[in-house]
Amino acid sequence: MARLAMLIDTSQCVGCRGCQVACKQWNDREGWLYSRTRNRGTYENPPDLSPHTWTRIRFTEYTGPDGFRWLFLKEGCMHCGNPACVAVCPTGALKKHPYGMVTLERELCNGCGYCSQFCPFNIPRLEFDPLTGKGKSYKCTFCQDRVTNGLLPSCVKTCPAKALDFGDREEIVAKAMARVEELKARGYTQANVYGVNEVGGLGRIYVLIAPPEAYGLPAKVEFPALATVWQKVVQPLGGVAFGATILGILGAFFIARRNIRMEEVK
Amino acid sequence: MSVQIKGKPEIVTIQWIPKYTLMERIVHWAHTATFIPLLLTGMVLYFPFLQPLAQGEAGIFLRLIHRIAAVFFGLVPILYAIIQPRRFIMNIRDFLPEKEDIGWLKGAIPYYLFGRHEAMPPQGRFNAGEKLNGLVMIIAWVVFGITGLIMWFGKGVVSPIIFRWAVLFHDLAMIASACMFLIHLYLAVAHPLMWAALVSMRFGVTSADYAAEHHAKWFYGPKRAMEIWEAKKREAAHKGGH
Repeated sequence: MARLAMLIDTSQCVGCRGCQVACKQWNDREGWLYSRTRNRGTYENPPDLSPHTWTRIRFTEYTGPDGFRWLFLKEGCMHCGNPACVAVCPTGALKKHPYGMVTLERELCNGCGYCSQFCPFNIPRLEFDPLTGKGKSYKCTFCQDRVTNGLLPSCVKTCPAKALDFGDREEIVAKAMARVEELKARGYTQANVYGVNEVGGLGRIYVLIAPPEAYGLPAKVEFPALATVWQKVVQPLGGVAFGATILGILGAFFIARRNIRMEEVK
Repeated sequence: MSVQIKGKPEIVTIQWIPKYTLMERIVHWAHTATFIPLLLTGMVLYFPFLQPLAQGEAGIFLRLIHRIAAVFFGLVPILYAIIQPRRFIMNIRDFLPEKEDIGWLKGAIPYYLFGRHEAMPPQGRFNAGEKLNGLVMIIAWVVFGITGLIMWFGKGVVSPIIFRWAVLFHDLAMIASACMFLIHLYLAVAHPLMWAALVSMRFGVTSADYAAEHHAKWFYGPKRAMEIWEAKKREAAHKGGH
């Protein structure tokens, strides 16, 4: 099955946040939990992703070569080609779907939170009791239930500015490239595509009109090295150490039993 | 105490001498009683075949057990240090490595596997192997404590990079202490020479003859113990010469 991806054309986005509402509605998320609306000196709202906010438009006030403007970035799970969350998840709740999205089976999640700490984009959010650790992880699943039934993700379906598109990843990348060329021709000299090669290629392909850092996206992002060291070095090393210790003890047990009689009680 | 050994007519008398204080034994067993549940509940995240136990409600329950056990695991040495600070420091000093411990390392295989007593230099109240076990457990306790607190309370508070390092070092401490624990368990429970080890950790006393044989440096003092060992080596070499 071909990998699917979402096109996010920030040059089209008007910051209406219809996607936020559609996401909450379809995925049955609370509106105000974690984020009661209040004036923080910005139009951006809610303040951050949360277990109940899986996607959000980040507003950035940006002064570029053409003067001041807003930058709108649709935040949410990037559905990495090489997802660190899936690698570190000890329960198998996080999986890579054949369509390319990173799915989350919440019944299996035990709330350990490794996914939230190893994600290079700081996406999965935990709803948890800090004392007992009882909790669950939450993040965008690309509307797995809709997409596997031939529908568009709810945010894409609702976007009135046509800033979002969804489909075969290769086609989406080609569309993004074409759009950047078009924008450059129209004078957006800083236009660029983000997400084609990062962390195994992202499931979100962004058309940006300013450098990624200006949006708060990491310019250089990789699969976390410590996850590799932990899983590919330390854990196998532990297996070898346990094996060697148990074999050594068994060997010692039989050799010692042959050579030494139980010492007489004195 | 008089004991009749199975299949032997004679009755032997054991002279018991004190070895561990009540507090030392309580600390030892409280450490054991918290270490084992911590190890078992932690293993669930480690071995893929145990994954079903890590999932969903089972996983949430085992994580809670892990945290409850962790509180007591952390408290035991702290309470010991508060109640008996001098004894606590003395015990830590007991576990610090010395130059002489190399002798134990050299003698360990002939002694533990082939029962050649003359290969093992005289040992103190804790032999060098027990010292190593104690030292690894102390270091692991510190590492578990620091990294565990980061993993418990640090999510969203400390940088994810610190959290990642904490996960890594929590695993390393577990690997080192679990291997040490298995070796310690075997020597204490199943090794034919160490019959009195478990007795003394349970009841606080050891046989005087056992102490003279296995903990000579403690029983006789370092000088006399060396003299006896030299004599034993000469005798063994003499026997071996024929």
